[in-house]
Amino acid sequence: MSDPETTHLVRTRVNGEEVERVVQARQLLVHYLRDTLAMKGTHIGCDTGNCGACTVLLDGEPVKSCMMLAVQADGSELKTVESLSPAGADLSELQQAFKDQHALQCGWCTPGMLMQAKALLERDPDPDVETIRRTLKGNICRCTGYVNIVRAIQQAAGQEVTAGKPEGVRA
Amino acid sequence: MLARSLRYARPTSVAEAVGLLAEHPGARPLAGGQSIVNVLKLRAAEVDALIDISRLQELRGVRATPDGGVEIGAGTRYVDLARDPLLLERNPLAAEVAGGLVDVQVRNRGTIGGNVCLNDPTSNFPPLLVALGGRIRVASAGGGDREVPAEQFFVGPYRCALAQGELVRAIVLPPLHDGEGAGYATLQLARDSWALARGAAWVRRGADGTVEAARVVVACIAPRPARQHAIEAALIGTRGEEPGLLAATAGALEGVDAIADSHASAEYRMEMAREYARRAIRQALGQTEAAA
Repeated sequence: MSDPETTHLVRTRVNGEEVERVVQARQLLVHYLRDTLAMKGTHIGCDTGNCGACTVLLDGEPVKSCMMLAVQADGSELKTVESLSPAGADLSELQQAFKDQHALQCGWCTPGMLMQAKALLERDPDPDVETIRRTLKGNICRCTGYVNIVRAIQQAAGQEVTAGKPEGVRA
Repeated sequence: MLARSLRYARPTSVAEAVGLLAEHPGARPLAGGQSIVNVLKLRAAEVDALIDISRLQELRGVRATPDGGVEIGAGTRYVDLARDPLLLERNPLAAEVAGGLVDVQVRNRGTIGGNVCLNDPTSNFPPLLVALGGRIRVASAGGGDREVPAEQFFVGPYRCALAQGELVRAIVLPPLHDGEGAGYATLQLARDSWALARGAAWVRRGADGTVEAARVVVACIAPRPARQHAIEAALIGTRGEEPGLLAATAGALEGVDAIADSHASAEYRMEMAREYARRAIRQALGQTEAAA
């Protein structure tokens, strides 16, 4: 029987690279990414599981990294906002769409928004506005009122950008 | 926030998990972690060790039971319940409830077993399971499982009938036969959002169309899912039509204790619990018509 231990070896694939670290059982995944791996792209917003700023992809699915222990990610594939465009490279289409549509102001929620949007578009390449809005329910933005974020996701999906416009008015 | 130092183990079977829970009285099971991780961060509970059951395949998935119902593994995530073909066929309401929980991230981690064990008064599944006449199958180190009717499992806020060392293995839902229907209605701040009042109902009609049996439950305004026996009695022998339904749901509610907060007064919550019970009953009755 495997007795409970306070430290554990955790093996993960983070943005395509194999990473092995010994972690404390109590360490949150978000602290593992930000502090242990010094990847500061993933933000801590509320630290209570409500705001979604810490959203990362665990085996392709969005999860809140403040609501999960690092040791629980053992054996998993993790993708963080840093994966969207490697240092020195151009912005990804999704990031460019956020820039074009002014989908951020303070930028605190943006890493979570981007990862949520990336997972959505992989699952559903042509989402309607209702689907986009419902998908963002777990990602809180206090600056934009969401409309520009929805527009950015529409742009990234290659759609006509209609969110926030009265029906019949073109963007 | 940093949790207190704790130990962690990842057993490879339910038998090993309940063995560890029995051996370590300060240990608690960890499934999706969408509530307990917050509790640990707030240091609101004394937990010495976490027994991670989230990867146990034997706790995952929906299986058919011979009577036409389903057995849902306690470790099945909401996202998997919402798209499970067998659940969609045999109890689509349970799949729909799972698909409307909180948000994408929580649905990707949270499990039905965690939902029923937390038993927050606003938890989605407890009132539904009571209305459906569900049972909770509990594993322990002693060996054989025991089954607890949902109505007895939910003891009070954040309390359920599990003893230390026990683990929920599955949630068993009886079949919905012809002439039976289930309903669920929630007043919430926004879609998939925090609930202010909730009703859940199950009905069975006889061949003549009158209600033969009913279970009506209100939640969010009660310390535990609250059966409404007076409403049930008033429904039986009727066709559940207006204005009789309105009269049947107009009286005092049983077992409730509504609170007032920034969202709503206690009186408003109480009135909305009646209204959402009514909507759940109408939905349940509507299903039986569709089946007939």
